[in-house]
Amino acid sequence: MNWTCEQTELLLTDYLDGLLPADEQRAFDLHVNSCERCTPLVSSVMHATSSLRALPELETPPRLVYNILDATLGPRETVSGWAAFLAWLKGVASPKFAYGTVSVAATFLMLVTVSGSINWKKPKLADLAPSNIYRNTNREMHKAYGRGAKYVSDLRVVYEIQSRLRQDNEVPTNRENTTPESNPTPGRTDGSGPASPRQQNRANDVSSQLQVLAEEVPLLSGKLSLVSGGALNLLTSAKLGER
Amino acid sequence: MEQDAQLVQQCLQGDGSAWEELVRRHTRRIFNICYRFTGNRTEAEDLSQDVFLRVYRTLASYRSAHGGFATWMTSVTRNLLIDHYRRTKRDRVTDSLDDAMPVVENKESSGRRPDEQALLGELSAQVQVALTHLSPELREAVILRDLQQLEYSEIQSVLAVPEGTVKSRINRGRIELARILQQMGVRPS
Repeated sequence: MNWTCEQTELLLTDYLDGLLPADEQRAFDLHVNSCERCTPLVSSVMHATSSLRALPELETPPRLVYNILDATLGPRETVSGWAAFLAWLKGVASPKFAYGTVSVAATFLMLVTVSGSINWKKPKLADLAPSNIYRNTNREMHKAYGRGAKYVSDLRVVYEIQSRLRQDNEVPTNRENTTPESNPTPGRTDGSGPASPRQQNRANDVSSQLQVLAEEVPLLSGKLSLVSGGALNLLTSAKLGER
Repeated sequence: MEQDAQLVQQCLQGDGSAWEELVRRHTRRIFNICYRFTGNRTEAEDLSQDVFLRVYRTLASYRSAHGGFATWMTSVTRNLLIDHYRRTKRDRVTDSLDDAMPVVENKESSGRRPDEQALLGELSAQVQVALTHLSPELREAVILRDLQQLEYSEIQSVLAVPEGTVKSRINRGRIELARILQQMGVRPS
């Protein structure tokens, strides 16, 4: 089938809407694929059509329906009395509204309680007067500031006392620490210090008793003298462990 | 469709709630036709209101045997839009395409690479501008076919012209729209 550019332009909508018979559609495709003029035309029209179809559907303006109803049926009747109250109740009886109301009430109560505006033991209507709320809030704020200042002052005194006590305790410790370690006890090469006088006395006492026993039992004297030396060393090392 | 005819019958018997239901069912569609035709929200709202006012007054003339209520209502809308176009033709400050083009060029020359959503929004705005530069008879044909997805027979009924004329207008409208978009610098990617 011989296809022309005029036919392409004329039957473009039929082609795009799928209304062309199969043989004409084949001829259309063959022509468009080989024609420098028709290729961009078909491409641009397809793009324009798809862009047009992709336009979003706009939402109805909020007041439009009511304006139309007012213009056609006339203004809606004003509801009064119980009917108005029930209509209002229907409008506000939603979980969202209830949650919002409870949140606002809780916040209000919290603020009122914190500000000390209301004495919950003896609540009075006058407590809700703005001047009273201001005065009570101001008073509570000053009291809170006073308490805070006193607390900080007390803490300062406590720290001062603690630091002085610490200084007093640290003085002798420092003196001990200042003793040079490179000055070991004369006669000792193992770095161990001397035992306390009480332990020394006890060691001496045990040693003397062992010596008496050794004299009384000469056979065991060698062994006992060794045992007494070992006991003495044991006491000395126990003293070192304590230190 | 049958439900619409039933609601119309109830309206004619004085049922206000049936009319309210009809208004709620069709407001969005009528508003969209008016907006796409005028390109102006305020005008579209006013025209939508006028459409429903006229429909309300002439409801008794609707015959379900002659077609669907939606088609009849679209026909009323189209007539009002054409009246509005003729009435405001003198007063309207016609935006030339040259006025619309710099906006597009400025956006393109800003060097920013907008995300897909912004691109889509920009393309929509450009298509809307191009649409309002079509002649009214081509514009209405294209809107009814490509935006409202009406069948040729329905468009024929709305425009009260033969089917061949409908096809011809849609065809010319699409080609013209593509040409305007190309002039605006919008080309197929």
